[in-house]
Amino acid sequence: MNQAAPVPKENQGEPVVRIDGRLKVTGQASYPADIATANVAYGVLATSSIARGKVSKVHTEEARAVPGVLDIVTYGDMDETDTPKFGNTGASSIGPLHDKTIFHEGQIIALVVAETFEAAEEASMLIRADYEDEPPSASFDSKGVKVEPAAGKSPMLQEDVKAGDFDAAYASAAVKIDQKYSTPTQHHNPIELFSTTAMWQGHQLTIHEPSQNVTGWKIELARQLKIDPANVRIVSPYVGGAFGSKGPMTARTAIVAVAARRVGRPVRCVVSRMQAFNTQTYRAETRHRIRIGAGKDGRITAFGHEGWEVTSRPDPYVVGGTSATGRMYNYGSVLTHVSIVHADRNTPGYMRSPPETPYVYALENAMDEMAVALGMDPVEFRRINEPEKEPIGGKPFSSRSLVKCYDQAAEAFGWSKRDAAVGSMRDGDWLVGMGCATAIYPTASAPCAARVRLTSDGQVRVQCGSHEIGTGVRTVAGQMAAERLGIGMDKVSVEMGDSALPPAPVSGGSISTASVCSAVLKACDAVRAKLFAAAVARDGPLAGSGNAKLDMEQEKIVASGGKSAKLSDVFKVMQVGAIEEYAEFAPKGSTPEALKKLYAGQAEFHGGDQDKDSVKYAFGAEFVEVRINSYTREIRVPRIVGAFAAGRIMNTRTARSQLMGGMIWGIGQALHEATEIDRRNARYVNRDLQDYLVPVNADIKQVDVILVPEVDLDVNPAGVKGLGELGNVGTAAAVASAVYHATGKRIRDLPIRIDNLIS
Amino acid sequence: MSNSTSPSGLSRRTFMTGSVTAAAAMPLMATSPKAAELSPARAAEPRDLSTISLRINKQAYTLALDNRTSLLDALRDHVGLTGTKKGCDHGQCGACTVLVDGKRVLSCLSFAVMNQGREITTVEGLASADGELHPVQQAFVDHDAFQCGYCTPGQIVSAIGCIDEGHAGSEDDIREYMSGNLCRCAAYPNIVAAIIQARDEIRRA
Repeated sequence: MNQAAPVPKENQGEPVVRIDGRLKVTGQASYPADIATANVAYGVLATSSIARGKVSKVHTEEARAVPGVLDIVTYGDMDETDTPKFGNTGASSIGPLHDKTIFHEGQIIALVVAETFEAAEEASMLIRADYEDEPPSASFDSKGVKVEPAAGKSPMLQEDVKAGDFDAAYASAAVKIDQKYSTPTQHHNPIELFSTTAMWQGHQLTIHEPSQNVTGWKIELARQLKIDPANVRIVSPYVGGAFGSKGPMTARTAIVAVAARRVGRPVRCVVSRMQAFNTQTYRAETRHRIRIGAGKDGRITAFGHEGWEVTSRPDPYVVGGTSATGRMYNYGSVLTHVSIVHADRNTPGYMRSPPETPYVYALENAMDEMAVALGMDPVEFRRINEPEKEPIGGKPFSSRSLVKCYDQAAEAFGWSKRDAAVGSMRDGDWLVGMGCATAIYPTASAPCAARVRLTSDGQVRVQCGSHEIGTGVRTVAGQMAAERLGIGMDKVSVEMGDSALPPAPVSGGSISTASVCSAVLKACDAVRAKLFAAAVARDGPLAGSGNAKLDMEQEKIVASGGKSAKLSDVFKVMQVGAIEEYAEFAPKGSTPEALKKLYAGQAEFHGGDQDKDSVKYAFGAEFVEVRINSYTREIRVPRIVGAFAAGRIMNTRTARSQLMGGMIWGIGQALHEATEIDRRNARYVNRDLQDYLVPVNADIKQVDVILVPEVDLDVNPAGVKGLGELGNVGTAAAVASAVYHATGKRIRDLPIRIDNLIS
Repeated sequence: MSNSTSPSGLSRRTFMTGSVTAAAAMPLMATSPKAAELSPARAAEPRDLSTISLRINKQAYTLALDNRTSLLDALRDHVGLTGTKKGCDHGQCGACTVLVDGKRVLSCLSFAVMNQGREITTVEGLASADGELHPVQQAFVDHDAFQCGYCTPGQIVSAIGCIDEGHAGSEDDIREYMSGNLCRCAAYPNIVAAIIQARDEIRRA
């Protein structure tokens, strides 16, 4: 045992080593651009240099003259396909080669295909375009942006939540704040580059591309190419980091597929790091106005949250995190409003933890300000406002262990040693600050199918079209089957990431473990039922034990009376070599069409604030120490402690790693990450990993994760809440609070950098 | 750059030209009549090919490569060793780290032709022939020092270099000297713990 493998507590599974660990450390795990492909040609994109206007002509002559160039796909060449659609599966409605309108800088204008990568790259740089350009609107406050209310424009935000009479309560509050906060543009930047490899065998198209949604993509790509979905297969067995970026399919996939059809051989397009900033999705910049009013006793009487988010011209993308912030505490009244601001930018998309990261940041930074205004300990302030029921619909929480999280994290952190006075804690040249914040993420699940096969020699194979994006879902799905069927993990294999497997929902929104494990559980139970029936039958090895409680362990069927039968003996009686069961899971409250929609690639989410009986969220509390050099204002985070309660923990090892990674993401949000925009040209400036800062090893020291036991069987049959998106919610606010504590400077606009702290 | 081959390893050389991956891959049929019509069988010859020899994981390879081919692309696209990853192609992420004559090198920043006569080690060359993992590989598994696994080959190769250079003396040293290898899943604390375990084991050996 080591730190990476926490000892399981109540309702927590064993820290089983990742089932694909060996493959990953030996270089044998094949990511989509690694797949051996005979006779492959290489594709490189050419993109627009303007952000708004029209392409009048693309000059390809010079590019075509480069030795080795096979083809150039550009305007006109996609006319026989349908344009992309914006939605859960499609990143944007912009069909870059269907329409000569330029909606954003870096929009695809051509794909060069050549014998070698080098020739394709050289040729792509020789493609020139003539534009009729117009002055673009880059972001908030730019001339020409269109601002509109977000509610109802997107399924992400159906309405602006509210409760009670905010205006009256705020007006009469004894203590109040009214502040503005902002978060910058951010790009996921998974280390794996985005890529598409397309290959046709007759009418069958296989796409190797890192994906969080193989089933959805199969359906959407078939629609765009006007072919039968049965002829499309999306393969993505390993994904090199996703964080939401590989959820929606982009326009490139169909373009590469068309290119492969044209040249009559497989085409692989690995998108450069720079081009990914514009051709994939990202987290758009957000602004917030928060108003909080409270009595002198610290009880909040009024909470107002207004949000603004940037999106592209054509697509109403919105995250709208007011649903969660409006339910977080026991507010007397709530007023929220979200607006979207259409600018000349590529369409944003989900990024680890879509609504909550920016919105809860604003709320929690404001909560700390409010605690200061009240002269109250920030932990105590949150405790006082702990709700019995959520304030919007008056529904209970299926479970809510936030106070326990605060207690355990505060103790581990040593919060009681904090001197509340600003600037009072100093260590030599370093100003020390301590802060805290709440993490919250909605608990949802979606319909999912799985197939489980058990052979007479005790081998188990689990198949599910979910996606191993680093979360450990392949491991926990195997663990679920191993536990349920009483088989050792060494005899379990798990196949994922292929649209030919039983369909699973998009791997996003922290739904995978719950959805996949619930389906695997159901399939295993069907296998068990068959085995149990055979075992207790008249000719079975446990004949006469029909009324006993049966279980499976160590490759045996064990009856409550103590009798047991070897698996192989039961198979002998059954005269079969294998039992295979296919199961479909649908969450409580699913519509009658939910399972049908699963096969159509449309996951129907349940849980969060959507259910009638209760609201379902996972919670956490994070405590951060910052050190700020009194001369240089260099900001360091020597330690961070997070305590999280997320129902059943399938595997304490993978859970801890996910939460740890999330908290480090949060440190990145607080101190490092921001895509800079040249406002004149609506152009991203720092489009690489040198200038787009992410945390590196030297930025991170002590990270402690506490897994707080919690049982919640209301959420789903597996009792799992999911936690991939939880760890980085709130972190940035905890850092901002600690910076305030150290320096007295309240930084409301992320990221917090040295220049913010020089007075 | 000349096309001369390294004298060493001639007898054991595995002669391979072009794409090794071709041999391993599934056969692929030509497609619809439309494809043939659009694309008259064009034997497009790339320019500036050089025939070079590389020693990779103690095996010799002869390759016909564009002079501009990076060592990374040579490994991945021409030798079929895809364990080494491309994360930026600009020397900014470390995912492509390999050992060249025992030193850490970013293979995306090195032309393949520059590496003739040198001993290149990739993640595929670390485990012993009987499958026993290198102590750094084993430590990465033990400490869950990865999630998605994409930066992992680069981290592991870099960690071997870091230990070998004597830069793994303290946790702070490890953090500093491993900061050229980005991990977006942010397994950093686990990576540091893994390197300490491996360092101690290598020292004992």
